[in-house]
This record gives sequence, C-alpha cells and structure tokens, in this order.
Amino acid sequence: MFSGWNWVAHGFYLLLSICSLKVSGGLVQSCGHIIPESPVLALGSNFTALCILNESCLDFGNIYANQIIWKIKNRVVPKEQYREINRTVSSVTFNDTSSLATPLTCNILADGQIEQNIYGITVTIGLPPEKPKNLTCIVRQVAKLTYPMTCTWNPGRHTFLDTHFRLKYRWPQESFPDCIPKDVNNSCTITDVQFFVNLEVWVEAANALGKAESDPLVLDPIEIVKPLSPRNLSVNSGILPTVLKLSWENRISAAVMKLKFNIRYRITGDTNWMQVPPEDTASPRTSFSVQGLRPYTEYVFSIRCMKEDGVGYWSDWSEEKTGVTTEDKPSKGPPIWRIIDASHSPAFWTVHLMWKALEPFEANGVILQYEVSVRAKSSLSSPPEKYNVNTTSLTLKLPNGTYEVTVIAHNRVAASPPSVLLIPASNSKAPVKNVRTLPKDGKLWVGWTAPNSYVLKYVIEWCLVSDSSDCIIEWQNEPGNVQGTYLKGDIKPFKCYLITVYPLYADGQGSGQSVKAYLQQDRPSKGPTVQTKKVGKAEAVLTWNHLTVDEQNGFIRSYTIFYKTIDGNETAVTVDPSKTEYTLSSLTSDTLYTVRMMAYTDEGGRSGPDFTFTTQKFGKGEIEAIVVPVCLAFLLIVLLGVLFCFNKRDLIKKHIWPIVPDPSKSNIAQWSPQVPAKHNFSSKDQMYPEGSFTDVSVVEIEADDKKSFSEQDLKPFDLLKKEKSTSEGHSSGIGGSSCMSSPRQSVSDSDEGETTQNTSSTVQYSTVVLNGYRDQTPVQVFSRSESTQPLLDSEERSEDHAGGGDSTTHRQQYFKQNGGQDENNTDRPCFERTKQIIPAPEGDLVGFAQLQISGQSSQLLGVGLEKNTQEAALSDVLQASAEGQTVRPETVEGNPLSIDEMPKSYLPQTVRQGGYMPQ
Amino acid sequence: MAAADSPSAALRRRDLCSRGIRLAGKMRSDVVDLLDIYVERQGLDASAGVAAVEGVPVAAAERWDEQTGTQRLLENLAAYRAFRSLLAQMLEEQREQLGDADAALGQALAAVLLQVSAFAYHLEELLRLESRGPPSEEGAGPPPPPNLGLFERKLRGLGVLRELAQWAVRSMRDLRQLAKPGLGSSSAPSLTESP
Repeated sequence: MFSGWNWVAHGFYLLLSICSLKVSGGLVQSCGHIIPESPVLALGSNFTALCILNESCLDFGNIYANQIIWKIKNRVVPKEQYREINRTVSSVTFNDTSSLATPLTCNILADGQIEQNIYGITVTIGLPPEKPKNLTCIVRQVAKLTYPMTCTWNPGRHTFLDTHFRLKYRWPQESFPDCIPKDVNNSCTITDVQFFVNLEVWVEAANALGKAESDPLVLDPIEIVKPLSPRNLSVNSGILPTVLKLSWENRISAAVMKLKFNIRYRITGDTNWMQVPPEDTASPRTSFSVQGLRPYTEYVFSIRCMKEDGVGYWSDWSEEKTGVTTEDKPSKGPPIWRIIDASHSPAFWTVHLMWKALEPFEANGVILQYEVSVRAKSSLSSPPEKYNVNTTSLTLKLPNGTYEVTVIAHNRVAASPPSVLLIPASNSKAPVKNVRTLPKDGKLWVGWTAPNSYVLKYVIEWCLVSDSSDCIIEWQNEPGNVQGTYLKGDIKPFKCYLITVYPLYADGQGSGQSVKAYLQQDRPSKGPTVQTKKVGKAEAVLTWNHLTVDEQNGFIRSYTIFYKTIDGNETAVTVDPSKTEYTLSSLTSDTLYTVRMMAYTDEGGRSGPDFTFTTQKFGKGEIEAIVVPVCLAFLLIVLLGVLFCFNKRDLIKKHIWPIVPDPSKSNIAQWSPQVPAKHNFSSKDQMYPEGSFTDVSVVEIEADDKKSFSEQDLKPFDLLKKEKSTSEGHSSGIGGSSCMSSPRQSVSDSDEGETTQNTSSTVQYSTVVLNGYRDQTPVQVFSRSESTQPLLDSEERSEDHAGGGDSTTHRQQYFKQNGGQDENNTDRPCFERTKQIIPAPEGDLVGFAQLQISGQSSQLLGVGLEKNTQEAALSDVLQASAEGQTVRPETVEGNPLSIDEMPKSYLPQTVRQGGYMPQ
Repeated sequence: MAAADSPSAALRRRDLCSRGIRLAGKMRSDVVDLLDIYVERQGLDASAGVAAVEGVPVAAAERWDEQTGTQRLLENLAAYRAFRSLLAQMLEEQREQLGDADAALGQALAAVLLQVSAFAYHLEELLRLESRGPPSEEGAGPPPPPNLGLFERKLRGLGVLRELAQWAVRSMRDLRQLAKPGLGSSSAPSLTESP
C-alpha cells in the first residue's frame, strides 16, 4: 500500500518536474529536441533522426535515452529501428522514407508508466525536379512592334514539393532577367525579344530536393515568328470579268522579315476553298490580282503570311472579304425542248416551248430576256416569227410542219449564242434502244444504246407518275456522245417515274423510248382488295383491282392469293401481276373460305383485307337436273290424269255427281194415276247424262195462252199455298232446286218398291203432280222420290193426308227456280234444271217450261213470269241449244236465295210469298 | 585568318553578316519610328537641325570604299558601343524625366538599345572570326555627359537617334561588303560601292 502511494507520488512529482522544468521568463523549455528539424526527404531514401535529451531533465526526472519511444503519428516505431547512442541520445532509422508520416515524435516513458512527448518534427517527402524537356518557343506577333516569345516545356513528374520553374535566356554577351511562369509550370512568355541575335533559352526547375535544367535552346527569335495576318483586305473588280484585285496591309515591317503569302478563295455559298498557286505569292507584296474567275460571281477571299523563307509559322487567315466579278456575255444558249399537243386539232399543233434558265456560271450576269425565233422550214424565205419573253416558256399554235426554233438569252452585256431546236413534222429518225435505269448513289441513272446515226444530242424527259397529280414533265439535255446520265432533279424514292429518251439529229428527231423506274422501291402501301365474282360448288372466281401507282411503291412483281377454310391450312397461289381475276378450284362445297391477297414488289409484299365466301352446296346444273325431270314427270302425270279423266268422264261423273232422279223424266205421258211414274229428278242444275233422259216432255208455251194462266190453273198453287200456310207437311222439302241447297235437305224414304233409275240413295225430291195430263183427270198424287233426304213431318202428314182421300185437287208443279231475284235475268249462272209437268190442257199457258233437246245436254231454264219474258228467255234458250252448246249448270254463283225470295222469282204471280214451294 | 578560311567560319561569317544586315535594317526602321515618337513626346520639331553632338560617332566616312573589312568592323563597333552608352543615358534621362508615364517611349528606347547591343555583339563576333578579336571597351566609351540643360539633352538625344539611323544604313552596306564572297575582310572593297 505504501509502495503504491509512493509510485503515484513519484510520478506526479516527475510530471511537475518536466512541466515546470527550467521555467524561465515564462517559457517552458523542452526536455529535448530532434535532429534534423523538419526535414524534406526524397521519396524512397533512408532517414535517421536523433532525439537528444537535455541534461537537466536527467537530473529532475531520471529520464534517459533508453526510455525514448519514437512515434509516427500515433503509431509506435518498432524498437528495432531505435538505437541508443548514449544516455541522452536515441536515434531512429527508416530505410524507406515512404513509410514515414508527419509528425515524427520523440516520447519518453517515465518510470515505465506515463508516456510523455518530448519533441516532434514535420517530415516532408517528395521528389527532386526532373529535367524539363521538349522546350519549344514561338514568337507571336501581337502588334507591329511587339513580339512576345512564349516557350513551353514538359515539366516532368510531379515532385510533391513546391517546385519553381524559371525560363532563362541570354545573349552570349548579355543576360536577361528570368521569365517566371505565372500559375503554370510549363510555359512562360518573354514580353519582347530582339531578332537577329541568337538567343540561348533554357528552363530551370528547382525545389527543396534539388535543381534541374533543360537542354539549352539556341535560336534567333526571328525564326520562330508567327506574324499577324494581313489586315484591311479589300477586293476590287478589275476590268476583266474574270479578275479580282486584292489589296491588304502587312503588319510586320519588311525590315523585320520579308513575307510570303497564301491567298484562298471560294464562291459564296460553296464550302470548298481554292488557292492561288503559292509560287505566285511567294514574294513580299501588298496586293495581288486573282485571275481565272467566273464572271458575275461573288467570291470570298482570305490571306495569310509567313516569313519569306518559310522558317517560322504561318499567320492565321485574315478576315474574309467578298468581291463580285463583272458581267460577261452568256457563255451558251439556254437548253430548249418542246411539248407538242396535237389533240385539239389534227391540222394544228399546240407547241409548248420551254427552255432552262442558264446556270449562273453560264449566264455570266442577269438574264434580262429571251429572244425566241420560230421559222417554218417549209417557207425559208419568210422571216421568222420573233418573240421576246421574260419567262422560260412559250406556247404557240402552229400548223403541222417542220420548224426551227432559236432561243437567245440577253444579259446586260451581250447576247448568248443561239440555241436551236428542230421540230420535225414527225419523229421519223431512229430511236435509241435498250433504255434502262439504275439507282446509284442516291440518284437515278438512265442509260441507253445509241442509234447508229450520229446524234446531235439527247433529251431525257421524265415525270412522276401519280394518280393524284398530272405528269409534269421535266427534262434535260445530254450531249450526243454519251449513253447514260443521271437525272438532274429531285427524284424521290418510292415514286414511279416515266423516263423517255429522245435522240436529236441534225435533220430530225427520233421517237422517244420510255421506261418506268423507281429510285428506291418499298413494299406496297396496301394490298389488293379481293372479292368474289362468282362462287360455285368447287370453284370461286376472284377479282381484284390493280393497286394504284401511288400505292404500289415499286414494281408489282406478283400477287399471291392466300385462302383457307376456318380450320384448314392456308394455301397460297401466285398470280401474274397483270391478272385481275383468278379462279380458285378444287374447293370444298358448302364451305366458308377466307381469302386475302398480297402484292409483292422487290422489297416485299403487303396483304390486303380478308374476304370470306362460302362455296355453294350444289353445282351448276345439279338443281336443274333434279327439278326439270320432276316437273316433267309431274306434268306428264297430270296430263295422263287429265286424259284419263276425260276418257272416263262419264264414269267419273257418275261417281262424282250421283244421278238424281229427274222429275222431268218421269214421263207424264207414261204416268198413270195408279202407277205413278217415277222419274229421276235432279234438283241440281247439273248436266245429266244423255242416257238419263228417257223421256222428253215438251211444253209448248204460247203467248196467247197467257191468259189461260187462269186461276184454275193456279188453284193447285193456291192450294199448295194454303197447305203451306197451314201445314208444312205436304211438302217433301224438295229444296234441292236451290243453288245452295243441300242435297240432304230432303231425304226421301220412298224408295222402297220403286224401280226407277234412281240408283243412288241421294234422290232428294218428291214429285207432286197436281194436274192431270191432257184429257186425263188430274189426280193428286204424291210421287215419292228416291231421295234420301229426310222428309219433313209436314210432308209426311201431307202425304198421309193426301192418301187419306183428300179430294182437293192440287196442281202440282215442279219448276226450276231461277234462284235470282231478277226474273228477267234468264242467263244467270245459277240454273236449276227442272222438269215441269204441266197438266195443262192444250192451249193452256204453262208457267214453266222445260226443254230437252235430244242428244244434247239439257238445260233447264227458269223463266220468270212476272214480266212476261218467257218467250224471250225461251228463244234464248232455244237459240243456245240450237247452237249445240251445252249450258252446264255450274256451281251456284251469286247470292244464295233465301226461302222468302225464291218464290218471288219463279212462282207464277199467283204464288205469293209465304207459300210453300217445292224447290 | 586561318579560322576565317575554314568553311564553317565562312558560313558563320556569312550568317553573321546576313543577320547583321537585317538587324541593322530593323534597327533603322525602329529608330525611324522612335524618332517620330521622340520628337513628338519631347516637343521637338522634326525638321529642327541638330549640330554635331560631341561624342556621337559620325556615319559619314571619307574614302569609305577604301576601307578594309576590319576597319569597317572596328569603326562600326566603336560607333555602336558609343550609341549603347548614349542610348543608355537617354533611357535613364527619359525615366528620370517622365518616369513610367511614357512607357512607349521608354520601351522603344530600350528596344533600340537592345538592338544596338545585339549589333555590337555581331560586330564582335565578326572581328573574332577575323582572328583579331574585339578591342577592349575600356577607354573606348564616349566621354562623360556634359552638364547640359533639359532642352539641350533633348536635342542631343535627337542627334543621337538621327546619327544612329545613319549608322544603321552604313552598317548594312559595310556588312554587305563583308558578305561578298571572295572578299577578305581585310581587303578593300571595289570602287563601285560607295556609302
């Protein structure tokens, strides 16, 4: 414990001793120092430092050299590098200074516990300067008498130290102050130098580690001068139109140096400089005339100079000055060509003369006007027609013929040589052959094979072929000795040009040979739109329109048709580009196809829109092959049927129209009261078979007997009426006379025991005979028909009543009801065939008539009596019958008669409505 | 003389003569320009006649064409050494008089002074090629400047420049004589040449 406190107290004492050691005058004196003090060391060299302790510190702090610790920054230097020289001096050695850093400190470990800094130094490490190299100097003139000389050199490697460069120069017998660079280390400018004395120049580089000098450069500054360029350059037009005179002012005295010059010039707007031959300007001068220039052309000039002997440097080019040469007469006449339009009139041409404005180098001035002369070759004696125009075209209307056109251009100086164009009546000379084109270097080259004859020159016409614009002709002349040229115009890619080459001869002109060309092709801008013209079962005819010229973008080399079904593979067919139609064959019937079409140029193709179509189910003629035979067979069957029916009409009629017992055939003459004859009677107005007419009753109706239509005769009707009014039973309901009456309205049940011709069960009528025949006593008999029509109760009763011995005599009439309300209308379509049995005595007028013409179809005509037209009606009927025509009762037309109406038409006047009438 | 006979010595002499001539020409040109500046800045009349100034060598020479090359070189060297001293005095006087206010005149004077020094160097080199060596400058300089007034100093300066211009012309001709092939520096030039 005691020893610990003892150590602490001792250390504290030592610290105080060191800090307060030798305090003198307020300054603290260090216990030691390092040698060398702040050294500058070469990189890579070895270095040894000594730390020397003061003797006084030894006494106070008991510190010795063996306690010294060397540090670089905070890093302790290995003790292997230490060496204790004596009790107060310790050294440290570094074999390579690159391991050094700042600061290097000397420290002491007091009592082995507390480390105390004694001293420290700053170490600077760098490199000595290298020898400056590549020293060059140039004297740049900045004013007439000011010639600063700038020297540059390569300073060498970086030294990491503050290195000073000095440019030293001297005459052999005189030294000058050094030139010290400012802000740089590789150049320096001497403000003024004297010429014609050799000057020795060198560079000295120096830093803390050493000094180096460049090799000396001995030169006469006059040999490294870059003079100022000549100034005040002026350009003046000379007398000649091809000469311009330049004048300038040199800015370096001829006493200093003699100069030579370079003069360059170019046409304004051009970028290429031309140069006056150097030998022409190799001597000192202040002016020069440039020759060989183009008339009326603006030139740009510039000049530079250097020492006459070529030692030194060229000056910069002077400022540019322009000058214009004077005008000269045009060097040639304007190229001329024509377009002849003979469409308006066969006898006259519309000649469009056109010529090109001369190029500036040809016009040699401002063209004021053109003089055009047109002379007809047929009349050489006549003076030519002259026109003065300011434009480059002239349109004339000339009769057909050969003309010589001359164009002369005038400028302010003179006229050009004439340009002559011969316009022959026809282009009868030999044309060129094998016109071809070739895109080359972004231009379109046209070549041709010359004809055998000597060609004066060629004219190449071309125009852009477009649907949207007219073919505007451009043209150019070429000399007769060439067989190819580039088109001089704005030839656009993807556009079609029509190029025509005309050979011009001294005495005529050859016809033009044309070719179409593209400068550059591309794919078509769209594909053809295909559609079907005709679709069959296994084939389809496709049509399309050619692409327009603007859409083609090149030569259409081929078309390709692609077609496919919905789920099938696509099939391609290549088609010639000249075609606009193609037939697809071997298609599947009743199938949906999709077809599209591509047009190809040399650069590729483009497809048009899809088009779909469906093939037909049947081929051409297949339907006809089926339908026609079927129709024919049908017609044949019908025809056979008709023939059959015609042949079997009787049989058919028999089946279709049952034989109705005809009351008319109930021959009254054969009728006996006891045995009432039964007659077939048909209530329908249908034709009876001839055979059915077994008896003919002729009713003679005499006009004079009208009066005999007495009441007596009508009594039966009255009776009937009466009976009708009282009872309906006496009627058998023979209403079949009605057109619309059903044959079943009255069905007779009286067919038993009868042997009439009634073979059908449809006999419908009962016959009531009221009067006697001729001289016979009329007996009221009910004659039952064979009709199956059920009888009315009244009829039954009436029959019963009659059978009951009713003595009342009824004159029963059976009549044909006209069915119409108009009694006069005897030819109505609805006829009811009736056979009227009139038991009238001779001479009696019978209200009903029945006609039957043997061998012909009978016709029963209802005759209206109220208007006494029976005769007329009868005559008509007779007439009609006599003509052999059979008036067939047809189906009932017109209004069906009501029961109330019917008596009005057919009954005698005594028959009143309301009475029952057999129908 | 042996050195003068060697080809390299001949080339050296020719080169020195050539550049000497051109230096003399430039010097004359610059002196003429300096004269204009000097007259203007000193307020003198360009046409003012100046009497011969003591200590200023005179370019005119009698029997110039009979002089040998060495004589010419020696006379030239003496003259230009004198001009060097005179111009140095003028430059000092100009700086004392105008300070740095007229830098152009001072620069022009300094430039001419340098050219005079350079030309003197040429002459010394040519004399060395003659195996004679330049004479020592001790005692050959101009006499100490007299105590002159300001105007007199201006006139004296004008006289110095005018005479320098004359000497420049003479020096060119002297050097041309020396540069002619086949003519030894010690031989007299032909009678056709005259200053």
